[in-house]
Amino acid sequence: MSGQIENTTNIICEKNDLSAYTHTQTDQVDLSRLLELGSIGAWHAATSLSEVLQQQVVIDIPKIHTIPPHLLPQHYQRHEAPTTAVYMQIANNECDILLIFDCEEAKKIAAMMTMVPSVDELDPVMEESAIQELANILIGSFLAAISDFTGLQLIPTTPQRVVDTFDAIIDNFVVKHSLISDEVLIFDTHFKRAGEKANLILMMFPSPQLQEQLVQQSKKQMEL
Amino acid sequence: MLTTLFGLQPNKVASAITSSLIKLSINATTQLETITTTTIETTKPKLEEVRVNMAEMRAESKPVELVTSVGSCVAICLYDSVNMCGGLAHIMLPKSAIAPQEPLPGKFADTAVPALAKAVRKLGRKEARLSAKIAGGANMFPNMNGLNIGLKNIEGVKAALAEHKIRLIAEDVGDAHGRRVTFDVTTGIATVKRFNGDETKL
Repeated sequence: MSGQIENTTNIICEKNDLSAYTHTQTDQVDLSRLLELGSIGAWHAATSLSEVLQQQVVIDIPKIHTIPPHLLPQHYQRHEAPTTAVYMQIANNECDILLIFDCEEAKKIAAMMTMVPSVDELDPVMEESAIQELANILIGSFLAAISDFTGLQLIPTTPQRVVDTFDAIIDNFVVKHSLISDEVLIFDTHFKRAGEKANLILMMFPSPQLQEQLVQQSKKQMEL
Repeated sequence: MLTTLFGLQPNKVASAITSSLIKLSINATTQLETITTTTIETTKPKLEEVRVNMAEMRAESKPVELVTSVGSCVAICLYDSVNMCGGLAHIMLPKSAIAPQEPLPGKFADTAVPALAKAVRKLGRKEARLSAKIAGGANMFPNMNGLNIGLKNIEGVKAALAEHKIRLIAEDVGDAHGRRVTFDVTTGIATVKRFNGDETKL
């Protein structure tokens, strides 16, 4: 039982700090091109979402930046928050897309879509399919707009829903993406529903090749 | 009606629950559960929680709980039963050879295990006797085509522990759900909590 206990802390990896990170590989001009693309997609997605929910929906992307993949959980600071997420892929494994809801927000939206008067009467099976359908519409129109603009074919796979804590959901993608790139793109997405802030996050993990293609194509389009 | 009753007399919640729990609607029961859980938590002495982020490691001898959330990542808890201290690492990938330019040792199983063991050994005065508990390595999207990183991580961690002759005494790995791992460094008890509320003590 004995043994000396010293009140010491041993922190390893002090460099692992979000604020200390400034290095980026992607050119600022390229980033602003991608931001422009994202905004085009977001406007289309917001329009189709407004029609489905019969409500004003605004999706704003004010900023885009890159961080190393493993700092994503620290960036969002949601950790154990109950989260409903829908996962979609662009065919050929080129891009992972995650639409992330706060659990309560997902229930509210699903109730609205299925015309159920209150969240408590919502059937879990109906909620799942409503949320998947919503993701289909939102991400579908997002990608369709980007496809139209760049001329690249971006076809999403069927949506898959998962409910768990925030960190547990995204870490799969963080790990997968850290295998192919040292940085991830972060679109700061702000959702507004009926004039109020909604708890939604849109995450995209394009492969470096697709990211380069998108930049090149939008460069062409914007110079015309 | 019930909520106003509890608002007035919060200390009599427990007796009220037993008498009226059966007749409550679903809505009211969820409210009750939140009340009871908060009262239990305040009576239990709480240790300070220190979060270990992704790709980080931390060794402590102070009485704290190291906390981390893992999906396909793996949380490695090392405990020194002689000096009663321990450490936790949140690794992302099995082998550092995948990305050799990466300077963070906490990211990979094969570099994190020796680094964490060294840090825990440094804390105690007597020679350490290390044991390990691991949790995580889930496959969050079973239908996602491609590689199962969770499984690779579990294998990588086990290989690294065996290589450094650290005994693995408990594990809660695999499946398709996330885990919140809380590691009490002075007792060596790791608590794994799932999203549906199930708790396992390792």
